[in-house]
Amino acid sequence: MIFDHGRTLIVRFAVTLTISAVLAAIAGTARAQDILLSRRPDRDQAILDGARKEGQVVLYSAAIVNQALRPLSDAFMKKYPFVKMTFWRGDTEEIIAKLGAEERANNLVADVAEGTGVGDLAVDAGFTQPYFTPQVDVLPERYRDPNGRWSYTRVSYFSIAYNTKLVAAADAPKSYDDLLDPRWQGKLAWRVGTASGTPLFITSMRLARGEDQALAYLRKLAQQKMINFGSGSARTLVDRVIAGEFPIALNIFAHHPLISKSKGAPVDSRLLDPVPSTAGTMVIAKGVRHPNGALLLVDFILSKEGQQILADAEYFPVRSDVKPQPALASIIPERAGVPELFLSPDLLNQNTALSEKIFEELFQ
Amino acid sequence: MTALRIAPPGTRVSPLVLALAAILIVLIVPPALFLLNVSLHETRPDGSLGAFTLRFYRELASERLFLSSARNTVLYAFGSSAIAIVIGTVQALIVERTDTPGRNLAFFAAIISLGVPHILYVVAWLLLLGRAGPVNDAIHFLVGPAHTIDVYSIWGMALIEGLGFVPLTFLLMSAVLRSMDTSFEEAAIMAGASTLRAFWSVTLRMGTPALCALALLFFARAFESFEVPALVGLAGNINVLTTTIFQAVHRTGMPSYGEAGAYSVCLVIVVAMLLFWQNRLSRNAHRYQTITGKGFRPHILDLGPWRYASAAILLALFLVVTVVPVAILIFTSFQPFYEGLSIEAFGRSSLNNYRVLLGPGSFRDSIANTLILGAATASFVVPFTALCGWLVARRTPGAVLLDHLATLPLVFPALILGVAFLDVFVNAPLPLYGTLISVIIASSVRYLPYGMRYAYSGALQIHPDLEGAAKIAGAPFVAVFRRIVVPLLAASLISTWLVVFLLSVQVVALPLLLVGPGSEVMAVTLFELWQNGQVTELASMGVVWIALMTTVSTVFHLLTRHQQIAA
Repeated sequence: MIFDHGRTLIVRFAVTLTISAVLAAIAGTARAQDILLSRRPDRDQAILDGARKEGQVVLYSAAIVNQALRPLSDAFMKKYPFVKMTFWRGDTEEIIAKLGAEERANNLVADVAEGTGVGDLAVDAGFTQPYFTPQVDVLPERYRDPNGRWSYTRVSYFSIAYNTKLVAAADAPKSYDDLLDPRWQGKLAWRVGTASGTPLFITSMRLARGEDQALAYLRKLAQQKMINFGSGSARTLVDRVIAGEFPIALNIFAHHPLISKSKGAPVDSRLLDPVPSTAGTMVIAKGVRHPNGALLLVDFILSKEGQQILADAEYFPVRSDVKPQPALASIIPERAGVPELFLSPDLLNQNTALSEKIFEELFQ
Repeated sequence: MTALRIAPPGTRVSPLVLALAAILIVLIVPPALFLLNVSLHETRPDGSLGAFTLRFYRELASERLFLSSARNTVLYAFGSSAIAIVIGTVQALIVERTDTPGRNLAFFAAIISLGVPHILYVVAWLLLLGRAGPVNDAIHFLVGPAHTIDVYSIWGMALIEGLGFVPLTFLLMSAVLRSMDTSFEEAAIMAGASTLRAFWSVTLRMGTPALCALALLFFARAFESFEVPALVGLAGNINVLTTTIFQAVHRTGMPSYGEAGAYSVCLVIVVAMLLFWQNRLSRNAHRYQTITGKGFRPHILDLGPWRYASAAILLALFLVVTVVPVAILIFTSFQPFYEGLSIEAFGRSSLNNYRVLLGPGSFRDSIANTLILGAATASFVVPFTALCGWLVARRTPGAVLLDHLATLPLVFPALILGVAFLDVFVNAPLPLYGTLISVIIASSVRYLPYGMRYAYSGALQIHPDLEGAAKIAGAPFVAVFRRIVVPLLAASLISTWLVVFLLSVQVVALPLLLVGPGSEVMAVTLFELWQNGQVTELASMGVVWIALMTTVSTVFHLLTRHQQIAA
């Protein structure tokens, strides 16, 4: 009897425990969701108090550690000494792999994740939850996501790079059609095996010219015996252009050649009409452990101070009241007077798979 | 299972073998199961596994590029293994068996080469052999501008990969040659064979198990290798299987590892067959047992005036395998950008890259983690595989299972092994995720095959009489291993320790996904420079790395010199 009674008690206790755990989890999620979407007047003070209690926040980002992530975390912790901010740096694909594994195992470490392509992949996979930050109010219209799935952090412009010793500035291609000139046969390199490489070039071509004309153009481009460069990084490809291995590289980050050029390297970038551009996105993980800290960090990265740190690290800020480095300003399409084609995560998402297919059929 | 079959009836599998197998199973089966699972299931958009499918196996074979990739892979594997084994063995023969002056420097050279991160070694060779590199400049100057060697070819790939593995061959072969009783060679020479003939028909034949071990290691490794195919092959539009699969992994937004999993499963089968064949070879193990109770002094060939020729060969190898690639990295590390070798470029030299690199908050934080990672990995892998390798060489019942298990990770592509371990640790019941321990476990698994092949070929050489004598004298099993086997293997164990240490600290893909905020290792910094940095900054990081690794290796060498002499 006593044994039975004990067992009943244990069962009751277990049931109570389970129910309260489930309720707490639901409440926790609801609470986190309330915090993340809060637009109340006391929102800023509330997340500050909340972050103080949480005491820490973790960022996964694809930005460079020394010039961007470390200064960001130093400045953040100087401003909010009561929150310990740690970060882990990986490429977009690694961030998605790590975040995904944590979400599936319910063993979450990341609070905020940031990088080019992070937003669309993570949102698509259901690893995120929407949030609101008042900082977006100062951003240009196209750098706002109406659904609050992500916020934009930094912009990238794509162009061609050419070796100035091998290709005179007057001869360097001035339009996409110039790339079809037979003299460039076997001399054009582009990056394969990454979404920001060949698929991005093909997608922007399809959006700029329409499917039929784009396909006709790409068929001609395939005659040029393109060099498929497979090491993964656009910076590396520019270095190969500087070394004289490849006279011209397509679809590289337009500011990389400028940075090297300022050191005397024989390289330059040229914007072609239209200039494809993308933006890094920042998300908050589903089931976030430090919702207040996460919002505090998001606000900080989008603030003037945070954007200035990114600008100092040679990124292009999304805020129009923060200026990029003067040496890099010349490739901002608006200033150069070349039309820009902004490829939002949604646009890329809808088009990348088909672009990959076109690449495989024509160029592999 | 051969061992079980030929074992006398009634022989039981010993508890030691079972215990070792249990450890291996715990270490290797979880990531292996992950690979098997992803190869047999659809991946859902959130990365979880969906319905059962065999489509990845079908697609692997029907992949448009499969046939040409497979052919290229075989050529590349054969070419690179042949280059590594021939050059490394010649080097070992000269160092261990002749009176060539300065031969002991070859060890130093091998250690420096192993300290160069593989990815930088490849970059250095591309800087050298590229269209704008000094080699082509020299050819243009001598023969005319119409002649250019194209490094972005299958031969360029085999050459670069092969040269990178010369030090591994050299270290293993010299350990084998050093502990080999030379009385057989002497007998052959007395019987009228020329020295060359004696080397060919006796020394090399006795070294067959070691050569097979190397061939297996390098051949399988070439099927899995990624740096050279990605950096050299793809730029020349040459696809091998790993690059074809790499492109399949990244085909759509969310990475899908189905094909990569299917590929590794197929490789596991191929390697199992190779191991089976190697085990058959060791049925005649007694032929290779040259370490006996008899004292011997290695026969050193007096080359006379020819020793200058052999010294020239050693010097040439030293230059090609070590000095030239390291020198080009040093040169590049002082440049603001790399634009080939020229007087003009020398004028641009500065210390700027080093200033950035050694400045505050760079890789200095992670040195301790890195050294712990390397030392812990090597200290686990080497004794563990020594014990396993010995049991396998003695054909202990069931030990063949140890061999298969410990060699399995060789064919897990690094590309996907990191993902597999991420999945294992993030779901593990123990809170290991994000810790340095998880990186140590993963890197131990990755280098088990290296320890295993080295230990096995070393153990094959030991004649069992010595152990038999100890057993008859009443020594317990552990004492036999510790007092007889380990001292006899010391030379090769020490070089294996160093090899595993140097290889495990430079792996980038594996720790990247496993470390958490704050537990980073140096290789991650290197990887980041590779992704975002300029090649000149990468080179300066490489130079600092090589200096550090050379220091560590030299200290280690000095500490263990006594052991090596004793052996």
